[in-house]
Amino acid sequence: MATDNPNADGFGEVSRVRGIAFEYLSFGASVFGLVALGVLLVYVAIDAFDLANASPEWLLTYFLTLVGPFLAFCLYSANDPEVTRRALGALGGGLVVVAALFSAIEAFVAPIPRLNWQLAYLFVVAAPTTAYLAYVGSRGRLGAVGFGLLGRLVGGVAIGLAVGTLFLVFDALLWFLAYTLGVLPAVGLYAFGRVRSAPRARTAAAPVGLVGLTAAVFLRDVVATYPSDLIIYLWTIAVPVAAAGALLVADRSGRTAGVLVGGLPLAVATAGGFLAAGAGLPAPTVLLVLVLTGVPTAAYVSRVVDVGEGVVGLALPFLLAAGVIVGALIVEALGVPAPDPWLDASYLTEAPSRTPSEAGLYPAIVGSVIIIAMVAVLSFALGVGTSVFLEEYTPESGPLGTLTRILQVNVANLAAVPSVVYGLLGLGLFANLLGLGIGTAVTAALTLSLLILPITIISAQEAIRSVPDDLRRGSDAMGATRWQTTKNVVLPEAMPGILTGTILALGRAIGETAPLIMIGAATTVFRAPDSLFSRFSAMPMQIYTWAGFPQADFRYGVVAAGVITLLIILVGMNGSAILLRNRAERGS
Amino acid sequence: MASSHDADTAGITRRKSLAALAGAGALGLAGCTQSTDGGDGGDGSDGGDGSDGGDGSDGDSSLSGPINIAGSSTVFPLMSAVMEDFAEMHPDVDPDISSTGSGGGFSNFFCTGDTDFNNASRPIQPEEEALCEENGVEYVELIAATDALTVVVNPDADWIDSLTTEELAQIWRSDAAETWDEIRDEFPNEEIERFGAADTSGTYDYFIEAILGEDGHTGDYQATEQDNTIAQGVAGSEYAIGYFGFAYYFQNPDQLKALGIDDGDGPVEPSLETASSGEYTPLSRPLFTYPSIESLGEEHIAEFARYFVEQTTNEDLVAGDVGYVPATEETQEEQMSILEDAIEQAQG
Repeated sequence: MATDNPNADGFGEVSRVRGIAFEYLSFGASVFGLVALGVLLVYVAIDAFDLANASPEWLLTYFLTLVGPFLAFCLYSANDPEVTRRALGALGGGLVVVAALFSAIEAFVAPIPRLNWQLAYLFVVAAPTTAYLAYVGSRGRLGAVGFGLLGRLVGGVAIGLAVGTLFLVFDALLWFLAYTLGVLPAVGLYAFGRVRSAPRARTAAAPVGLVGLTAAVFLRDVVATYPSDLIIYLWTIAVPVAAAGALLVADRSGRTAGVLVGGLPLAVATAGGFLAAGAGLPAPTVLLVLVLTGVPTAAYVSRVVDVGEGVVGLALPFLLAAGVIVGALIVEALGVPAPDPWLDASYLTEAPSRTPSEAGLYPAIVGSVIIIAMVAVLSFALGVGTSVFLEEYTPESGPLGTLTRILQVNVANLAAVPSVVYGLLGLGLFANLLGLGIGTAVTAALTLSLLILPITIISAQEAIRSVPDDLRRGSDAMGATRWQTTKNVVLPEAMPGILTGTILALGRAIGETAPLIMIGAATTVFRAPDSLFSRFSAMPMQIYTWAGFPQADFRYGVVAAGVITLLIILVGMNGSAILLRNRAERGS
Repeated sequence: MASSHDADTAGITRRKSLAALAGAGALGLAGCTQSTDGGDGGDGSDGGDGSDGGDGSDGDSSLSGPINIAGSSTVFPLMSAVMEDFAEMHPDVDPDISSTGSGGGFSNFFCTGDTDFNNASRPIQPEEEALCEENGVEYVELIAATDALTVVVNPDADWIDSLTTEELAQIWRSDAAETWDEIRDEFPNEEIERFGAADTSGTYDYFIEAILGEDGHTGDYQATEQDNTIAQGVAGSEYAIGYFGFAYYFQNPDQLKALGIDDGDGPVEPSLETASSGEYTPLSRPLFTYPSIESLGEEHIAEFARYFVEQTTNEDLVAGDVGYVPATEETQEEQMSILEDAIEQAQG
């Protein structure tokens, strides 16, 4: 036996070369993709914000007034001398290294187009260092408070704008009736039932709501006079949001705080709405943005003050705002030439134009937001429904089990079908056969939902499958029905995974062009869609068209600004979904 | 303790919020009401008389409704520029435009009755006429502008300045020449790299009709609907050749070199002047738009069609902003009378 053992003389030596080579190969693979993407984004950002024309003085001014104080805030929050030393080392050393390397490449290899060493420093050293410090800073209490407040401000504005956009197409008058007759009584009954523990009131809530909604649909055309839009939004959204915030805070820190948290933003928002109406701004959107920003912000501030830790962190938004203002003042006072970004306010609020400097993306942004909102709801409902059925209700053996497996394989195959095919399906089925109209928002939303449905189903199935069977059996043993087990055990446990899959799928849907071309979505529209059945354009369609325009300003500046806008909206969408997911993860 | 405290504060705040609701309701009653008789304006309007100057100051703001346009990507910049101005003048008109290619627009959208106009960079073809007839879609043909199809080479190619129409055909016909010296002896012995329009494009059809005739188009080329791709391909190689609409060359004259075309009377370079004077043959071509007669029955679409024909002589817009050759006054008058007849037929 001993003679057969190759290790008889000890274990010998194993070469480590392969392992090391493999490690570096995989490192190289990951770096290649990331660097390529990084270069693309850097150039798109330079074009969109016209950074190629930013003078070094301009960059330096804002570095000192905006980035510097922000970094100081993060370092102060992290309160770690080691981090401070490292950050200053990176910023200082990076400056020398980047300047030297950049000059060397320009001198000896080839000139680098549209980039100077200051910009290279900004993207290669300053941006990663800032991100790192923001991460480190956010782990301290001070930073957490600052970023929490900042997040609520930004998130509130984003959600306010999104809701305002959705109400461009959804009938506000119908919503007013539905809310007044259906939602409000149902919620009222339910809350009453809970507080007074009257189960009958709680059971009655759903039917009452349904009756109210039906009545609203019938009354929509009967009623002739409605309050103005501003009043409708105030009554149906601002007041409930404020009330919810007030209840929440009153629960935690007493009724004065509750009234303050609900009432103050509501008052500001109402005043803002009426002022905006006077100034010719879109009053309902102003109202929504103010109330959806104000209430969560006020609630957060109240909580931080209650806890009493890291209150100074609340100064972060003021620090940044002051940085922007001071920077602008200095630039103005010294007459420093500032870049003229393509991506500015008018780009986001104007219609497309034949003149590059006047071209805007507004109708396409609205179109994309509306479609993606509908796609999110549709694909989530259909995807989760299908996967729950396939995983929890279908038998695993017998002829039905075989059928299920065939179905599964087909769903998986559908995920690989090219998007043009879905476009054709949408054109034939939704646009022509069901008569939903060529190139309408409904047709597009249905088509894109179908397109991403396989991905949503598969990821939701994976998530449901990964819920340990012990949990189900445990729930069964408690005497729970299958519906109770699914609702109380499986879905909450699987929700983070389901959301992850939906986020990825939505990211694909928002960038699709081919199916939209097939269903006849317009290349360019000049007004935001005002109903689900009006023709619309989406951001990728408009960007693609601009990329084909003969003027160089369109192909570089306007297209780059469009790409950045698309990315920002995508990041915003994903960010909110990830927040939801993290909340679900914490909850379970 | 917690629960009683909860119930207590919750009750109070709910009462408070109810009071706030009541306040808001009172506000709602107090003022700011709207009624819902909006509906379909625009049908009973007088609709302007069309032939008046066209400075836009007559803006009949009662016009409303959608205008759906599809078709040629060559006409797209011109049509969308006109739409932009029209949309600005009439805030309730809701125009949209898709760039589908002339043929794609006719067969998928226009002849099935889904769009009001179809733009085309060549006249409607027999099979498309048949399809329209089958679906009962009637239309008129309007000339939008003139384009000078431009043949371009790399700016570094100093060995070539012009080509005769026969030489051009040798380069692009189905049994195309492989190397440049097959075309003319003094040309270098290098392979020809071809960049041209895709076969869904009206530019492709027109190029065949004007230059290649029976011989047909070569398949050995990079086909695309995007002028940028052609421009970048040609800019990337000294021995490349491509063709596209005049607008791209007009906006980027330094990036590429346009060849003079010799149709027997010596080489003529493409320009707004040579195309409008008729010297630049055979590659100057008319661009069309086809309004559907049924759609012209709607006042806002008829008004848009009139506005479009008025704008075809607008030099700033057609030549300056887009890069096509504006129509002459006579052409415009002719088109306007065709249009007025069609509108009369539609509105009876």
